[in-house]
Amino acid sequence: MLYSVIGYYSLILGLCFGLIIIYFSVKNFQNYQLLDNKILSFTFLQFFFVVISFLCLILSFVLSDFSNETVFNNSHTTKPLFYKIAGTWGNHEGSLLLWLFVLTLFILIFLLRSKKQPTKYKILTLVFQQMIIIGFFVFLIKTSNPFNFLYPTPEEGLGLNPILQDPALAIHPPILYLGYVGTSIIFSSALAATSLNIINKSWASHIKKWVLISWIFLTLGILLGSIWAYYELGWGGFWFWDPVENVSLMPWLALTTLLHCILVLEKKLILTSWVIILSIATFTLSMCGTFLVRSGILNSVHTFANDPERGLFILIFLFCLIFLSLLIFFFFHKNNKNNFTSLFWLSKETSIIVNNWFMMYFLSVVLIGTVYPIFLDVLSSQKISVGPPFYHKLIIPFLIPFLLMMAVGPKLKWIKSNLKDKFYLIILLAISILLSFLIVKNFDTKFLLNTILISSSMYLFFITLRDFFIKIHNNISQNIAHFGFSLLILSILFNNLFSTEIIANLKVGETFQSENTKIVFESINQEKEKNYQSIIGNFSIHNSKGKIENMLPELRIYNQPNIVTSEADIKTTLMSDKFIVINLVQNQDYFNIRYQVKPFMIWIWLSVVLISFGGLMSFIKKEHEK
Amino acid sequence: MKILKLFLIIFFIFSFNHLKANNEIIKNKITKNLRCLICQGQSVYDSDSEFANSLKVLVDKKLNEGFSEKQIYSYFKDKYGEWILYDPKFNKNTYILWLLPILIFLIGGAIISKSFIIKKK
Repeated sequence: MLYSVIGYYSLILGLCFGLIIIYFSVKNFQNYQLLDNKILSFTFLQFFFVVISFLCLILSFVLSDFSNETVFNNSHTTKPLFYKIAGTWGNHEGSLLLWLFVLTLFILIFLLRSKKQPTKYKILTLVFQQMIIIGFFVFLIKTSNPFNFLYPTPEEGLGLNPILQDPALAIHPPILYLGYVGTSIIFSSALAATSLNIINKSWASHIKKWVLISWIFLTLGILLGSIWAYYELGWGGFWFWDPVENVSLMPWLALTTLLHCILVLEKKLILTSWVIILSIATFTLSMCGTFLVRSGILNSVHTFANDPERGLFILIFLFCLIFLSLLIFFFFHKNNKNNFTSLFWLSKETSIIVNNWFMMYFLSVVLIGTVYPIFLDVLSSQKISVGPPFYHKLIIPFLIPFLLMMAVGPKLKWIKSNLKDKFYLIILLAISILLSFLIVKNFDTKFLLNTILISSSMYLFFITLRDFFIKIHNNISQNIAHFGFSLLILSILFNNLFSTEIIANLKVGETFQSENTKIVFESINQEKEKNYQSIIGNFSIHNSKGKIENMLPELRIYNQPNIVTSEADIKTTLMSDKFIVINLVQNQDYFNIRYQVKPFMIWIWLSVVLISFGGLMSFIKKEHEK
Repeated sequence: MKILKLFLIIFFIFSFNHLKANNEIIKNKITKNLRCLICQGQSVYDSDSEFANSLKVLVDKKLNEGFSEKQIYSYFKDKYGEWILYDPKFNKNTYILWLLPILIFLIGGAIISKSFIIKKK
């Protein structure tokens, strides 16, 4: 009760500080020296109040204060403490408060870290950022107040969705949000720099750090979501082209493109307009994501809040931001003469431009695939589904030239270059083709496509691998990231090709025998935890080499809400994952068993970690230069 | 380039020997392309709900009756509407869906080549 009041008024105070900051900044924009210290303390106070408010919500959750509507809807006294805390952002209101927390945190760090930047630029960035922050404050207070009262106070809460009751809940949303919200800094800063017409090399090198940070977090956030889906939702899958996954992929694609563009801008003053557009687009896409998820118009596992009013608010807010940014772009942006004339077609710039071209294509595929069904539904009330086959058909063929370009592109020099040592480029290509031919040889379906795909990713793999040993490391971070990407594509391909699966219906004590695997359903145990009951199946898997492995998949029957979830048992080794789940079949005395061997699963995760590590290296290098 | 072409030709020849695929693979492929209507964004293949399981049995039955993949899709489409198919068919409803990305790609290419490949001369 008390905490709800404190939390609520802290939010209002935070909003007030937002307005004060904008007012002061606009009023004293000309004699800005005066402002420099004040805005820092104001921003700090605003951050402080958001922290208070956030802590209040966490405390309400920890104390199971059901007079708070959010707590009532999403918590339960028998829930373990860990999920009481993590559950704070496992719902619409709390996750928005977390979003707001990160927003205010980032602008504070931005102000602290860019002391050397021109004051006018800092103030303008702050003003734009405050507009976003105020938008979120109003949104939170008006449509999704996390501190609503309930009277009379209910005895017990409704409980947290069991699918969310997983350790990943504690880190996946915050890390993803750090990535999403980081793009807001890029957005504000790009708008500020455009208004002051200081889009130049030094701005590029300053904002690159922010691009890298958001990119690293977004990459890791998506990875965590993917891993989570793999063991919790997906019966062995890790990416479903689910709208909400797409929505996180879109800003990632835009951000990756931006990252590459910034590299060019840092070296040469070209592509300025493009960089601004990308900065705007990245943030807009992040916001679009929030809109699509929160409005509930998407059919997905993530839609835990469906309220049209909220959707409408975000939509209007989004349009205002887009309108504002376009206004600034067209009125203030003076296009420096883009002297493309000096570009030779076989240069690093061109290869990055081609990279942009492909990335934008991938982005458009994902975007159109995600929003098209919504539009069709609205316009002609025809419901269609756009699923994995659509994305595969449109993306995979384009992936091949993209991979080849990625292999050769970084070999080129800035401005102009002739390909040095073509010899090994060709030799490696031949080796890759030969190897993938040998690997795919025994497979029936899609032989040609698979061979070409594997060859091109192997080509990238070999070339980046060779660079670790040969090149004087002038760009090790890029090399690591590209190497990681090739590893990612290779692991996904192999995983797709070589996965095997057994589906069987078994009773306790029965045995299933296939060509080279024997599955014995040994026994079944029951256990009782605080907020769920679990049924644990005991299986032993005999493979063809006579090796026996014990696996314990689990069914959990949660008390509140009353939902059954199945927890897979996964045995991970370097070469492959063994994955088993059981499921109840209604009115039958047998269980539905699904056993999969998925090769190179761990390499998919590792390669994404490697990719973000590449980003981290680049970031550290950047910090070092200072 | 010549070497590349040669490789391509060899692949084509080989790939024709590999066109056969058995029922199980087709079944998995079909169920992956069907949406589980009672789940939140899952395919029939990925889901273990009752609905999904009954659909799996149905696909199996249809395959044994000698239905082709396409016939099965149209069977489900007639029964449940287009919503059930994950792979949207190319028709007047979906021209934009399929062609717009390609169009964007081409336009992008045009812009890039216009901006500097031509100016190069």
